[in-house]
Amino acid sequence: MTTATRWDAIVVGADVNGLVAAHYLARAGRRVLVVGETDTPVDIGWVPPQIIRELKLDPGAIELQQSDPWIVAPLAGGGRLELSRDIAKSVEAIRRVSPADAGKWVEFSTRMRRLAGVLEALYVEAAPDIETRKIGELLHLGRVGLHVRRLGKQTMIDLLRILPMSIAELLDDWFENDALKGILGAAGVWHLRQGPRAAGTAFNFLHHHVGSPAGVFRPPRSRLTQALAARPGVELRRGAATIVATGGRATGVRLGTEEISATLVVSSADPRTTFEPLKPQLDAEFVRAVGNIKSRSIVARGTVKLERPVDFKTLCVAPSLDHLERAHDDAKYGRISARPYVEAVATDGRLDLHVQYAPTIDQTLAERVAAALGGGVSAGQVRLEPHVGHLYHGELTLDQILFMRPVPGWSRYRTPIAGLYLCGPGTHPGGGIAGAAGRNAARVILKET
Amino acid sequence: MASPRTYDAIIIGGGHNGLVTAAYLARAGKKVVVLEKRPRVGGAAVTEEVFPGFKFTMFSYVVSLLRPEIIRDLDLPRHGLHVLPLESTVTPMENGDYFAAWGDHDETRRELYRHSPRDAEAYDEYGRLMHFMAQAVKPILSMVPPDPTSFDPRDLLALLRLGKHFRGLGAERLHALMKLMTMSSADFLDEWFETDVLKATKSASGIIGTFLGPRSPGTAYVLLHHYMGELDGVFRAWGFAKGGTGAVSESIASAARGFGAEIRCDAPVARVLVKGGRATGVALENGDEIAAKVVVSGLDPRRSFLDLIEEKDLPGDFVADIKRFKFRGSSGKVNLALDALPSFTCMPGIGRQHRGAFSISPSLEYVERAYDDAKYGEFSRRPYMDIVFPSMIDPGMAPPGKHVMSIFVQYAPYNLNGGWTDAKREAFGDAVVNTVEGFAPGFKSRILHRQVITPLDIERITGLSEGNIFQGELALHQLFFMRPAAGWAKFRTPVRAYYQCGAGTHPGGGIMGASGRLAALAILGDGA
Repeated sequence: MTTATRWDAIVVGADVNGLVAAHYLARAGRRVLVVGETDTPVDIGWVPPQIIRELKLDPGAIELQQSDPWIVAPLAGGGRLELSRDIAKSVEAIRRVSPADAGKWVEFSTRMRRLAGVLEALYVEAAPDIETRKIGELLHLGRVGLHVRRLGKQTMIDLLRILPMSIAELLDDWFENDALKGILGAAGVWHLRQGPRAAGTAFNFLHHHVGSPAGVFRPPRSRLTQALAARPGVELRRGAATIVATGGRATGVRLGTEEISATLVVSSADPRTTFEPLKPQLDAEFVRAVGNIKSRSIVARGTVKLERPVDFKTLCVAPSLDHLERAHDDAKYGRISARPYVEAVATDGRLDLHVQYAPTIDQTLAERVAAALGGGVSAGQVRLEPHVGHLYHGELTLDQILFMRPVPGWSRYRTPIAGLYLCGPGTHPGGGIAGAAGRNAARVILKET
Repeated sequence: MASPRTYDAIIIGGGHNGLVTAAYLARAGKKVVVLEKRPRVGGAAVTEEVFPGFKFTMFSYVVSLLRPEIIRDLDLPRHGLHVLPLESTVTPMENGDYFAAWGDHDETRRELYRHSPRDAEAYDEYGRLMHFMAQAVKPILSMVPPDPTSFDPRDLLALLRLGKHFRGLGAERLHALMKLMTMSSADFLDEWFETDVLKATKSASGIIGTFLGPRSPGTAYVLLHHYMGELDGVFRAWGFAKGGTGAVSESIASAARGFGAEIRCDAPVARVLVKGGRATGVALENGDEIAAKVVVSGLDPRRSFLDLIEEKDLPGDFVADIKRFKFRGSSGKVNLALDALPSFTCMPGIGRQHRGAFSISPSLEYVERAYDDAKYGEFSRRPYMDIVFPSMIDPGMAPPGKHVMSIFVQYAPYNLNGGWTDAKREAFGDAVVNTVEGFAPGFKSRILHRQVITPLDIERITGLSEGNIFQGELALHQLFFMRPAAGWAKFRTPVRAYYQCGAGTHPGGGIMGASGRLAALAILGDGA
């Protein structure tokens, strides 16, 4: 059965990027239907200020209270290291574990902040197209180059040197304290099936610093998805839609037995899932490239139901870079880490967990998580969720970013299927950023259709 | 001989790059002297009679990358350079099978078909792509890196030209290049092949001289090097120099002398003389001073700047960069004198396989585990090894009927837990021969003499910091315009008239001689 209403665009996926793309299209007068689930209570990652401004969102409705101290880490010899939003307070805390490191904290924070700023500028545009022969694109490339050059020689050298580095090398250049390096190193391996000694983890560290003030190395949290889901202007339907295409052109989606047609389909789903049913209409090279996207799930997520309140907001259990590296060694051979890196965020009487590295989950993992969290938590309180694919729809390794994301040659949200666009974290600039891909995709779509 | 009091150029260190620089400068009519601390030239490319009648290429062991323009310009064959190709690579597997890559492409393909018909198909396409990519990257090896942080129009123009060169490759190849630069060799090969032993052997060659494992990003790039040899289309275009790699150095030295260069051995340099920010000569350890218009260091960046120059003569941020430059030597060498060749279980008997290499890289996991040991400061209990029998290719290396066996070993970390001792060195040697014994039972009883070389030994004998065979790790952030430091990758240094020509500069290690040649051209270009 085909419904009569013809939509200008159907967005598959009601997550943060899908909703951002939908509202940008609606704002331009398109009739938009979004199909998917909006279960994300909290979005993790930078919300580009452009989105708040252009969609005229109320910043108050989106903002969440950010944790302060932004991280608490237990120390090997007892006590804890607490890093605060107030940089001077952090310096004092670090001084208690290492006066040398305390002396470098401000400069380190300033230099990293500047580099994250470069990424922010790159993230609110489609990825630079280095193959282009179009004059406009070349000018854009030139502008990016000039922007970087204007930041001065030091920033330029930092950028060239640090982006391809490992986070372990970067931190060893600066600091001596294991607990501090563990806290920072953990951000470098987030959602990567790599240890802190792998090249490119320094980039991953900066990626997750985007949107945070200097000296804060955990992404901000917001309620963007919830705010957009409640906002009028687009129609929202629950369910899992399959994209329908004929003769290499997207015509709409199938939702249960119903077929809904539209001029455009925009998918925030995983590229691999998106293209799976369309394979017969795609050329072999493209299918191979999509098949080669590395998106190996490595993080187990879950919750701990708290019986009594805890005295932290965000707890990081990654006592050293070697601890992270050894945790990764297990995963390298397909096993769950014997001593995983665990991060817990306290919200509404529960802890939200990030457990790495866990290529799969099993009975014993809950025990290992409880052991990592220490004293107050028992294995019975730990609820781990089964993996549902890679959160970022593709690891943020150097070969899968910018114009290489999601697959080389197709970084501009467009796909080989006419009328089908991508807008999810599998596209530039990737996961851990709330809505940038959706906004970039919508802008490309509006220019092209 | 009446030695002139002043020279146009002093070259510190008679390694192959220093010799290449000397030869090119002398060829241009400059009065040049090379100062080598050891009794012979060659640096890490030396052949020595370690045991009576048994000659070894002590450190390096194969030649593949020596730049053809250098062989041509310096007419090296006339000076005794004779490279004999290594015919094959055989990888024994843990189950008693093997994977063999032969000089003949079709034979290799048939062998691969035995393991996986799908991979045999992919192998041709892979070979074509890599061959093309290698051709595309080759010009970079012969180019002075532009400085991306500079506003000098010459740099901007060079950057533009570089950009144009890469865009000229076309989208597909450009993407492949990006992947090669950033991926791990294991991930890159996973996109092409399913045969584990093939992936293990190919990626093992990508970790040589690095402190990285096959699953570490940045290792894929080295896969390209195997397609850069002049024996194009061959699986591994490695060669073995008649007389060992020392003969390569000797031939370059001979060419340099032919152009009028003077070479002094047993002449260790204590420091570079600097006056008013300008190098004026060197002081030898025996107190002699030699003056020259330019001084060129073929030593690694740490020696060139932190040992030979006083810190006050260098800018602070440059010193910080050089201090940060990573060496982390990770390889050792075991040289054996044998009374007979070993027979490997996977391919019993003595035959043509002994004219090629044996790669002890039975699986990706094996090599990765070897790396895990090193990561935490131990030598690999079961190391990756690249084995050749030089006496099978050049009978002059051993007495009649006897043989020499060269085993390149990884990983042996320079910073071993508790430090290297004689006992640890022998334990490392034992781990090596015991592992080989597992693949070639009875081999141990054939050993007449054994020499074990750790990274610490390499550092003590050759002066290479931390025993790094490439004068500094070939990591992404230490390549091209970052080698050895951003802004100082053009062979010049912050001290006027002081130049660097070693593998610590672009394009880096392997017996390429490219750094030496480019340095000479930079010096001549500056009108020295």
